[in-house]
Amino acid sequence: MTQRRFWIVLLLAWSLAPMLWQLISSFSSDEALISAGRVALSQRWTFDHYRDLFLSDPPFWRYLINSTVVAAETTVLTLVLALPASYTLARLPVLWRRGSRLLITAAALFPYVLLFLALLEIARAFQFGNNLLALALPYAALSMPLALLLLSAAFEGLPKDLEDAAQLEGLTLIQRLRWVMIPLIAPASASTAILVFLFAWNEYPIALTWISDASLLTLPVAVARIAGSSIYSIPYGAYAAATVLGSIPLLMLVLIFQKQIVSGLTNGAIKG
Amino acid sequence: MTLELQHIGRRFGERWILQELDLNVAQGECVALLGASGCGKSTALRLIAGLDQPDCGHVLIDGEPMDRVPARQRRIGMVFQSYALFPHLTVRGNLDLGLRLRGGPLQDRQQRIEAMLDVVQLRDLADQRPGQLSGGQRQRVALARALLRDPQVFLLDEPMSNLDAQLRDELRPELKRLILDGPQPVIYVTHDQQEAMALADRIAVMRHGRIEQIGTPQELYDAPSTTYVAQFIGRPPMNLISTDDHSIIGVRPEHLILDGAGMDCRVLNREWHGASQQLLLDSPHGSLRMICDGGVTLGDSVRVSWPSQREHRFNASDGRRE
Repeated sequence: MTQRRFWIVLLLAWSLAPMLWQLISSFSSDEALISAGRVALSQRWTFDHYRDLFLSDPPFWRYLINSTVVAAETTVLTLVLALPASYTLARLPVLWRRGSRLLITAAALFPYVLLFLALLEIARAFQFGNNLLALALPYAALSMPLALLLLSAAFEGLPKDLEDAAQLEGLTLIQRLRWVMIPLIAPASASTAILVFLFAWNEYPIALTWISDASLLTLPVAVARIAGSSIYSIPYGAYAAATVLGSIPLLMLVLIFQKQIVSGLTNGAIKG
Repeated sequence: MTLELQHIGRRFGERWILQELDLNVAQGECVALLGASGCGKSTALRLIAGLDQPDCGHVLIDGEPMDRVPARQRRIGMVFQSYALFPHLTVRGNLDLGLRLRGGPLQDRQQRIEAMLDVVQLRDLADQRPGQLSGGQRQRVALARALLRDPQVFLLDEPMSNLDAQLRDELRPELKRLILDGPQPVIYVTHDQQEAMALADRIAVMRHGRIEQIGTPQELYDAPSTTYVAQFIGRPPMNLISTDDHSIIGVRPEHLILDGAGMDCRVLNREWHGASQQLLLDSPHGSLRMICDGGVTLGDSVRVSWPSQREHRFNASDGRRE
């Protein structure tokens, strides 16, 4: 028991220590960050980095909003397309299903960074540059393989009897999806949504190439700009503060959906 | 209301799951499809429901061919082995979903659901989810949902096999009152011969996708048409004795009698059931099962025979009754 506890603590330290470091750095004064020696306590802690972020032009919350808009859009678009598609996938004959799975997995494994030049051409051709709505299109497309795999597995996991029963109750396909199947895979949808949101929130190369207007930047690009703003000094404090602010919405999202992700909603569907 | 199956066939790949299935179920009649797992009885049920399509033949409900009628328009009241209740809805929600989406007016729906909750005695549990109910309660919800469908046909797929023996005995009269006594034809799929004999008007014994024999429970018991039916109906199963002249003699364990002029047997095993006892005998023709009530003990030698009018004769080559 104590040994298990030891490993858990070690694991938590391994994954949380860097974040804790960022948190501490974000509240540390520049003197404290760069001097190896001791700093007077009155100069040790500061809110300056956060204040600077919000006083800059455009203010930092602008990027938070931009990223939220893009990530939310991506998530909704992905789910709206992936839910019916993955239901269909789950109902294909076995051979077709396996074949499609293989192709989708291959697509999911493809290093998408290799696509960004081609995507840039597309953006140019369709005038998609500097448009937050349009940025969600490649994001949704790139999230699709993962969403399809997760959701179709969830649909396949539902007992066949439930859909049969719904059919005999007189429900059309759309009604079955809306009132029976989709509510039952809510946990899988929630975890898929979080993964997609996370991807869109963190995405860098496409955002960097598609967006140039400073007021439309997404968070990762904006943070990178802070970090690279001067060649003489690296603004560790501001960088850390931006990272902390950028993580808060994600933490909140996970906390809100925690129950859906964990809950076993289908318990009791079948015999007891 | 009637149900008719005309020459139904269904195959998966090259293998025929159902062949030449003909069946007429009259108004208010209950026919049990009885057979071991894999005999095609569940497939037959799915074909009637419209959840699967036959490769040949027709399903007729009330004389109407169902070939082009999708499952959701067939007005089938089905009870699944798993009950298939919607786990995310309350009992009331389960009963209401179909009614609501089929477009019933709110007040009418509420009235029918409340009345149905009283009929199946679930009023106190109406706001619980299926996960919180016991097996018997879930089954009653499933029955209520099937009843609210206004079905033209009831299909019951092993509705009791997930319940323990005592609960089954309790629910049997309820099943009879709610469903079997109604005007609809009922198809009752089961692998339990006692259940079939207790509930069905006629039993169709199925084997390898065909109906081996169909008749009243009494007909099947008195005159089984093959050795398969003979061994499937009645418990313990009928004794089959091979003879020299290419036939098989069948005698039910309960028809063997202790008789000083009979064959000489030794008692190999004895199970005491209270009212009677079941013996396993070592006879010159192999082992025999016997039900008797005398004071016989293990290891005894007994003399056994049977009245000739209780004897069934089957052809040894194809197992058919001679």
